Formats: sequence, C-alpha cells, structure tokens
Amino acid sequence: MILSVRDLRVSFRTEDGLVRAIDGVSFDLAEGEILGVVGESGSGKTVSLLAVMGLITDPNAIIEGSIRYKGRELVGLPARELRRLRGNEIAMIFQDPMTALTPVYTIGWQIAEQIRAHQNISKSKALERVEQLLAEVNFPNPHEAMSRYPHQLSGGMRQRAVIAMALSCNPALLVADEPTTALDVTVQAGILDLVRKLRSTHNSAVVFITHDMGVVSELADRVMVMYAGRVVERGSRSELFSDPQHPYTRALLGSIPPLTGEKPRRLPAIPGSPPSLLRLPQGCAFGPRCPVRYEPCVATKPDLGTATHAAACFRVAQA
Amino acid sequence: MIDNNEPVLETRSLSKRFSIGTRFSAEGRRTVHAVDNVSLTVRRGETVGLVGESGCGKSTLARCLVRLYDITDGELLFEGDDIASKSLSELRPLRRRLQMVFQDPSASLNPRRRVGDLVAEPLRIHTKLSSAEIKKRVAELFDLVGLLPDHVMRYPHEFSGGQRQRVGIARAIALNPDVVVLDEPVSALDVSVQAQIVNLLADLQEKLKLTYVFIAHDLSVVRQVSTRIAVMYLGSIVEEGPAEEVFTTPAHPYSQALISAVPIVETTPGGTRKRIILSGDVPSPLKPPAGCRFHPRCPIAVERCRTERPELKERQPGRKVACHFPTLA
Repeated sequence: MILSVRDLRVSFRTEDGLVRAIDGVSFDLAEGEILGVVGESGSGKTVSLLAVMGLITDPNAIIEGSIRYKGRELVGLPARELRRLRGNEIAMIFQDPMTALTPVYTIGWQIAEQIRAHQNISKSKALERVEQLLAEVNFPNPHEAMSRYPHQLSGGMRQRAVIAMALSCNPALLVADEPTTALDVTVQAGILDLVRKLRSTHNSAVVFITHDMGVVSELADRVMVMYAGRVVERGSRSELFSDPQHPYTRALLGSIPPLTGEKPRRLPAIPGSPPSLLRLPQGCAFGPRCPVRYEPCVATKPDLGTATHAAACFRVAQA
Repeated sequence: MIDNNEPVLETRSLSKRFSIGTRFSAEGRRTVHAVDNVSLTVRRGETVGLVGESGCGKSTLARCLVRLYDITDGELLFEGDDIASKSLSELRPLRRRLQMVFQDPSASLNPRRRVGDLVAEPLRIHTKLSSAEIKKRVAELFDLVGLLPDHVMRYPHEFSGGQRQRVGIARAIALNPDVVVLDEPVSALDVSVQAQIVNLLADLQEKLKLTYVFIAHDLSVVRQVSTRIAVMYLGSIVEEGPAEEVFTTPAHPYSQALISAVPIVETTPGGTRKRIILSGDVPSPLKPPAGCRFHPRCPIAVERCRTERPELKERQPGRKVACHFPTLA
C-alpha cells in the first residue's frame, strides 16, 4: 500500500459552530492504482485530499486520524519534512491551472524551478528535462512553449503544463482535484488519456477527485462515493457501476440524463439538497432525502464495514 | 407537430463583432468575430439546444437573441418583425416577451434585496398591477417554481444554489414571456440538484407553453431538454437538426468528436463507444483559419477544406450541415 488513510476526521472551528468536513474516512491505495473519489460540493472530497497533502494550514482546523504514506505517518509531520515529499514524491493537480501557475514567470522557468527544488541538477539539465516533459504531455511545440507565460496559453494547455510540473519528479502518488472540470469535453478527453498513460508509464498511483460519474467510470479502477463528509459506498469500478448499493449512489446515477438510448420523460431527481455541515442529522446524513429510509436511519449513522464493495446503509446491511 | 409551428424567433445572417485594443496597443485595433453569419429559426413550443465548446459564441448569440448586445450585422426577427436595430425604448414592450435565465444565480440576483422584491421587479416595471396584485402574483410564481410562500422575505444568500436558480426562473417567467433564453442554467448546480431544475423547466414549458433556447456545455442535459440542436464552432453553426438524429448520427466531424468525447457511465466494461480525440485547440476567433474553420483539427480534411468554406446547407429534410463531406445515411 502506498497510501493508507484511517479514520480521518477534519473539523473547522467557526463562529457558527464546528463544521465537520470529514467524519471518519478510511481508504487504501496501491501502487499504479487509480482511485476515483466522487461527490457533490461539500461532500468532503477536496478537504480529505488536502489533509493527505498536509495543505490544511487553517489554525481553526482540527485534524485527527492517521495518514500513512509508504508506512510513514504524515499527520503531525513537521512542515519541512512534508515539503520534501510534496512536489517530489507526491504531486498535485488542481481544478484551476491559472491559480497553480504564477503569472509572472514563463512555463519553462516554473517547471525547471520545481525540478531544481527537489533534485540536485544544473539549470540547463533541468530545462532539457522540461522540454521532454512538455513533449510528453503533448505540447505541439515544446521548445517554444517553454518561453510562454501562462496567460498566453489556452485552458487545456495550462492544465497540461501543470500536469508536466506534477510529473517532473516522477511522483509515486498523484492527487488530481477536478482537473478537467473547467475544461471542454474534447480537451478533457485528451487529459484523461494523459492520466491513463502516466499510470502505465510511471506506475504512479492516482487519486482522482471529480463530481462527474462519467469521468470516474472511464478512468478509475476503484471508486469511493462521498456524501456529507463520509464515504457512503466504495467498490471496484465494475461493482459500483453495474451493481450500485447505496441509495445515494443509485439516485445519483439515475439522475444523470442518458446520452444514448431512450430518454426519460422526467429525470428521477433526488429531492432536497445536501445538508449543511453545521447541522448534520444525528443519523444517516442522506436520510432526509432517502427514498428507503426507515427507523434505524434516524438515530444512528450506518457504518461502511470492511468488505471491498461496501455501502454505509442499514437497508443494504439488512438485505 | 412542432415542425409546422410558426417561427417565433429567427436570425438571418446574424453577426456580432467586438473591437478590442486601441490604436496604441501592440497589435492595433482588432476585431473578434464572436458570432459569424448565423441563421437559426426557433419555432413556437420547441426547445433549441445550442452546444459547443467555450469560446464558440453560444453565449454571445444568446445575448444577441434577447438584444442584450447590439447586433453588428444581419436580422433578428421576433414574430416576423425585425428587432435587430430597434432602439431601447422600442424594445421595452418586447422585453416582457423575451426573457433570459443566467448561469450563475448568485451573480444575477442582487444580494441586498429580498427575493420577493426581485421577482416583483419585472411586474412593477412592465405591468400596472396594484401592490396587492403583485404580491399575489409573486406567491403564485413561487408556488410554480417550487419555493415556499415564506421564502419571499429571504435574501439570496439564504438559499442553496438550486433554490437560487428557481428564483432566477421565477423572475424570468413573471411576465408570461413567449421565449426564454437559458444560458447554462444548470451548470453551476450539483448533479443531484440539476435533475430537479431540468424537470422544473420541462414542467413550466408544458404549463406555460414556453419556447426555450437552451445553452449548455453538458451534452446529456441538452439532449434531455431539446427538440432541436444547433452545434456551434468558432462563431458559426456547423450542424443543426432534430436532437435525437444529431445525437445518434452526427453528420459533421466536429459534432462527432464532441459527442464521442462525453464520458458516460458504462456498466459493461470495455464499452463499444469509439472516441475521437481532436488534436490542437480551438483557434482564436481573432484570426480564424481560412476555408472551413474546423479544418486544422478535422480528421477528414482535404485540400478543398483549406480554401473553400462550406455553407450550412440542408442535406436531408430538417438536417443542415456545414461540411463538404458530411456523414449522412
């Protein structure tokens, strides 16, 4: 296991009370595996990965649980040690490439800086490596692109540059947070292809966060569905998509309009909206919107259990 | 049948150009051809879906349709009457019949006013209703879009994204418009909430006999709501036809690539879909390529495509394609 997260809890102290962003998340990631994390806004998918990266610096945040990277505990690790891992062994790609790049330096400079921060090589060697990397992420003219500033590139090209930066040190773990959400579908298709290629050439493990079920079903080996700070279902891609168990997963899959075949007159929509993390129900967080809720759901939170394909639902456990 | 309904909104060779830069900037004054020679007919009761990538001009076209932008060239007919060059005061009586819903409800609703006021505003401007009548109408509208009566006193920030979009919709339909132009109405919403709004829009269309122009980049949502589809690329329509036909047998190579790129949930592993990955990026509308504008990225482009620009022509009944070599059955 390259990454093991156990019972991770992240809360934020706010004026209105304690916001439980993550409430007991556990998962494992093996080498060369792509884990898809799906959920809506506020489900905790981003916060859980920020915690893994040690990027939650808010003094009001309370982080509990264990995050082990190659057997080494990351929670409580000094910032200096973390910095040595981040960008080197663990790399990230964010949703908006414009905020991940500085506008005042060229693409080539920025990627070379990243390489030189972690490896002891000369500037010219680093620049050679940058050109290789840009070619690897399908820049049509890598040499020319190195002297470009971020604003001179299109959104898709910027995201490619960020990916090139993330790959610059051959990371063992790549965390991608909605990397294609801001992009057009035709550009997205190219980026997804790239992520797949990386996994096969570098054998990197990838955690891919998205709200798009379609993207997950194309890319991920295993999938984790999150709702209101908890994992409600996990399983392999085929288990999850051909046999979804949790009422939320089912409803979510049902509410996506189909691209082919017969089109429903009305979409089976999920009533209501996701709960506020300040006022989570005592029982199952999906309970108030769930079509099959019954008495046990109101008082206690269902557990996920330990099976490879598992759903945190009393109805599923009962069946 | 909708096909025989009279056109309610029609564009003829409509173009919108923006000038950018000044004579002092490095490249001098330049012109962006945001919408280029678009002819589109919207018939009463139908939903025309406009799809295309960012920068293809779909939002600009939408804003031209309701005359939020001045039109550079061409005609815009509303019930046969050219409104392309009408003055603002001449347009005012038409505004109530042509409404728009925007993508980001938190940006289009004034945060300092109660939502009841926001929905009442068009009624105050365009009708002579008394305040009691306005109050009654607002309550009716809230009920229609699925908001509770006591919500009128709240401020926009007190709502979730989905509810805010309901407010935006209530405001757009307050004056019983004929046509509603929806610019990415569900894109900012969570997946589980999107379906609610899509259903609401379908219900309202049926109840109020609305005509929609629906813009979205999410193709599966567009398919769900549209009767007809127009695919745009770099300011022009490259394909137009009945929604089902365009989705099952796209004729233009760009539509084919666009539809094949949508990731869908496949329950059978492997899947049978063939994906066309386009090389390169959408060219800048500042200097569009000569000939067919899609040719630098087109997998089947030949010499002719580089020089001769294909016209949007009816190739089969109801199906228009702008390509020298369309794939048609």
